[in-house]
Amino acid sequence: MEPELRDYVGELLDSGTVAGVLALKDELGAVKPYLFTKNNEIGDLVLTSKYPLASVMSMLQKEDPSIKLAIVCRGCDERALIELAKRNQINLDNIVFVGIPCDEEMADKCNCLQPYPKEIVTGEKLSNWVPKNNYEDFKNMSTEEKLIFWKGQLEKCNKCYGCRNACPLCFCSDCELENALWVKHGRLPPEFPIYHVIRAFHLAGKCVGCGECENACPVGIPLMTLNHLLREDIKDLFGYMTGQDIEDENPINTKEEY
Amino acid sequence: MKYDNILTTCPYCGCGCKYYIQVINGVAKGVMPCKEDPVSEGKLCIKGWNVVDFVYSEGRLTKPLIKENGKFREASWDEAYNLIVSKFKKIKEQHGPQAFGLLSSAKTTNEENYLMQKFARSIIVTNNVDHCARLCHASTVAGLAAAFGSGAMTNSIPEFEDADCFLITGSNTTEQHPLIGSRILRAKERGAKIILVDPRLIQLAKFADIHLRQKPGTDVAWLNGLMYVIIKDGLVDEEFVKNRTENYEKLKKEVMNYPPEKVEEITGVPKEDIISAAHIFGNAKTASIIYSMGITQHTTGVDNVKSCANLAMITGNMGKACTGVNPLRGQNNVQGACDLGALPNVFPGYQAVANGEFREKFEKAWKMDDKIPENVGLTVVEMTNEAHAGNIKCLYIMGENPMVSDPDINHVKESLESLDFLVVQDIFLTETAELADVVLPGTSFLEKDGTFTGTDRRVQRVRKAIEPLGESKPDWLIISELASRMGSSAFEYNSPKEIQDEIASLTPLYGGISYERLDDLGYLQWPCLDKDHKGTVFLHKGKFTRGLGCFFPITYKPPAELPDKEYPFTLTTGRILFHFHTGTMTRCVPKLDKEVPTGYVEIHPVDADRLGIKDGEIIKVSTRRGTINIPAYITRKVPEKIVFIPFHFKECAANILTNPALDPIAKIPELKVCACKVESIGE
Amino acid sequence: MTEEFKPKIVGFLCNWCCYAGADMAGTSRMKYPSNIRIIRVMCSSRINTEMIIKAFQTGADAVFIGGCHFGDCHYVDGNYRTKKRIDVLKRLLSHMGIEQERLRLEWVSAAEGEKFSKTMAEFTDTITSLGPSPLREIKEEAI
Repeated sequence: MEPELRDYVGELLDSGTVAGVLALKDELGAVKPYLFTKNNEIGDLVLTSKYPLASVMSMLQKEDPSIKLAIVCRGCDERALIELAKRNQINLDNIVFVGIPCDEEMADKCNCLQPYPKEIVTGEKLSNWVPKNNYEDFKNMSTEEKLIFWKGQLEKCNKCYGCRNACPLCFCSDCELENALWVKHGRLPPEFPIYHVIRAFHLAGKCVGCGECENACPVGIPLMTLNHLLREDIKDLFGYMTGQDIEDENPINTKEEY
Repeated sequence: MKYDNILTTCPYCGCGCKYYIQVINGVAKGVMPCKEDPVSEGKLCIKGWNVVDFVYSEGRLTKPLIKENGKFREASWDEAYNLIVSKFKKIKEQHGPQAFGLLSSAKTTNEENYLMQKFARSIIVTNNVDHCARLCHASTVAGLAAAFGSGAMTNSIPEFEDADCFLITGSNTTEQHPLIGSRILRAKERGAKIILVDPRLIQLAKFADIHLRQKPGTDVAWLNGLMYVIIKDGLVDEEFVKNRTENYEKLKKEVMNYPPEKVEEITGVPKEDIISAAHIFGNAKTASIIYSMGITQHTTGVDNVKSCANLAMITGNMGKACTGVNPLRGQNNVQGACDLGALPNVFPGYQAVANGEFREKFEKAWKMDDKIPENVGLTVVEMTNEAHAGNIKCLYIMGENPMVSDPDINHVKESLESLDFLVVQDIFLTETAELADVVLPGTSFLEKDGTFTGTDRRVQRVRKAIEPLGESKPDWLIISELASRMGSSAFEYNSPKEIQDEIASLTPLYGGISYERLDDLGYLQWPCLDKDHKGTVFLHKGKFTRGLGCFFPITYKPPAELPDKEYPFTLTTGRILFHFHTGTMTRCVPKLDKEVPTGYVEIHPVDADRLGIKDGEIIKVSTRRGTINIPAYITRKVPEKIVFIPFHFKECAANILTNPALDPIAKIPELKVCACKVESIGE
Repeated sequence: MTEEFKPKIVGFLCNWCCYAGADMAGTSRMKYPSNIRIIRVMCSSRINTEMIIKAFQTGADAVFIGGCHFGDCHYVDGNYRTKKRIDVLKRLLSHMGIEQERLRLEWVSAAEGEKFSKTMAEFTDTITSLGPSPLREIKEEAI
């Protein structure tokens, strides 16, 4: 998959279609986000890891709104870009999508609902993909058990804000998590459960299921459980899925009855 | 547009997390965790996430400053260098090299620490070089070196994940070493047992299987108490004690004086808890002792450390994975600064200055005509005292802030003011730099290359991400240029890589470490003896560095200052998650400042009630050294009769209060215990 | 623990309809339980998640939100948003282990004093039988 992809993006650069390609680069035994601007670097482009490239793209566009860039994106990256565009955080006209599908291992790791973007330039979409974990264990808990579960989990929180920082959809410059009216400053762990409820709620109708928040959590709080359940709820209540079409509005924000 | 991510090592605590700095067109924009990093695994704490903000903070020094008529003016590098060279030469002529003291820095790179001690020993020709490890883990270096032959953390961070039992004492791990704390929590979820020994109800207390809340400064007593139970109940690893250690009988004789009843009397910990903690620890397959400043910052610091070593050895928890005695080092590179000889008694790699062969080796390598003195130099607190007495005339301080970090600040201030000449090299105009005659602008970790050595002896690269701000220069370059102007030809380096090569050639512990290998492997843990050596994950496998592990029988001694009628409270100090040390870096980061904008004193509701103190009220805390006004934080985190103050905040500096009484061997001050008085000043 | 449990209910009432309805109940001398502490807001959609959670966290056993009937919103469509927001939040609360019955949204017009007093009585009963909010206990242990 990588050689074909390298040819494809090399062509985008050579032809002058884009000024750079945002993708992952193998360097010093690790993989990092990188903006490829020359064809001769493309040999280091890899697909072996996952980083929140959508937020990087948004940062690059803010730096230079006129620049046209390509992005090698997975399903979650594409969904995040679409959600960002809905909220005027990014200009899709200046982005060339270079879609790649996730393999089974990666899709499993993220328990992804949709491990591929709309169009792919290489590889194959997983067919008939259904995520294995349906969070049945959690759903079978009683209300009381759920509270005990979350209390135990959230007591570990050390307020790094990593879940927010790593989230491609958390773009507010003033974050309610830092508002002392809701969450007392400087206390560890933050009071149960407001910090995490605020974050979960703010992502309702926004979360694209990339799993970066859970990956970034130093103490292993299963944040995707909440996100996953809320995504199910949003689908159940409003029939809405995030990251599908830029024309779909987040139903929580619309004024229509449902 | 150019967008890149530069892999570098965090400049805060000793965990040694590597992460990326996101750079757009030469400007650092933020942090991106590195998912392949073995320590952080793509996770960070709040300080790490916001690291870029301090680098660009307004307070950064960008030009040399010279003090004239009590005021600073900007100067050129030439002017600053010339002034320093002429003053240094004059003072050396008049008062001799022993009138100098040099403070190196646990914040700077290994290469810079190496150069600083090289400058002290070869240019000034004195062993008066030390750094803030004196204030944190000097007792570890001394205690563990005596017991095992090596003064460093025995095991590695990733091993914590698989340990069966932790004894955590004097370390608020989830706040001070968040990425180590998170591993402990993960181990707990897997079923590991946690024994916490700490007077305060810290976050870890909720996850501890047993929490012993000892009176501050009674550590030898409870450690002996645990060993008493372990010996009495047959939980000693006889095989290990017989084959790997010496002096056991003497230890046993001493420890037998500490039955749980007596320990309860001294420490305030119920005897049942001592017994069950001893059983948990003694029965664990692999048990790891984790400690930090709560053990070391005492007049009995070395005793405490040796007691921890005793406990690990009688249970055979040494020289294996997931065990050991694990001091967590507070600074990103405090391990490296010690390793590279920024200490008054050793050259790089702990080669003693008292040894003529080593002196000769370094004199030759450094192209010296003079002879390096064989006497051990002065330590941090001794330097201040000698300055006060008029025997030290000149201090050259790099990246340290004794005006906030050292005990009894009023005394420190008088000492620094009585100097003939003070040079401070820093990135900010710190409280210490304010008192300097010349201030040299160094650079932050983002603007230079080098290596840091993390708490588990992990040597990792620091990579330059952006150009130095203004006219500031990397510290290695400043020391080299100054040395060259002092007339040396042994300081001509084009890059830190060349310095590392010189270090490797002179320091067996670092012998196999080179930039090429670090690029390939990501990290190397010393001892790393040669180019083919893979580094050492845990120490003392099969054999202790000193041969046999040595037991030291230790008698309990109370702290230097105990509460009395006039000063009825016990004051203990420490750090908090959101800030770092003297606050020079973290307090100019908006997101951290917002969380905790100023200091506070934690006081128990019962005490607060009795004294009529309300939450948030400014109160007066005083000791025999001084008085501060500070907001009260009423909380059950502290026991009754004990108050806690984080020491980061200069406007209510805990170290105005602390006791400079020293451990007799390690010369570490007793920052963790002193007697104090708490008063309400409101109407 | 023999003391009878009297739930604390925080009520956020829209200025134009529900608050006027409560007023109506008062002036008409209709009786309803005194468990509710009323906070007047300009629109039910002014209430965000943070306020509701904060109310629970500071000791409320239940939260009541009263707005205008659909079509009657003084700001045209505020209450449509309120409805969706509260429905999602109820689900989130139950995932967190807080009974979703503790959060209730009702439309009460300025003329519906009786509906207000009946709703209050009924809601107080529901919460009384549910017992104290589980967050109360947690709050107490955190001090």
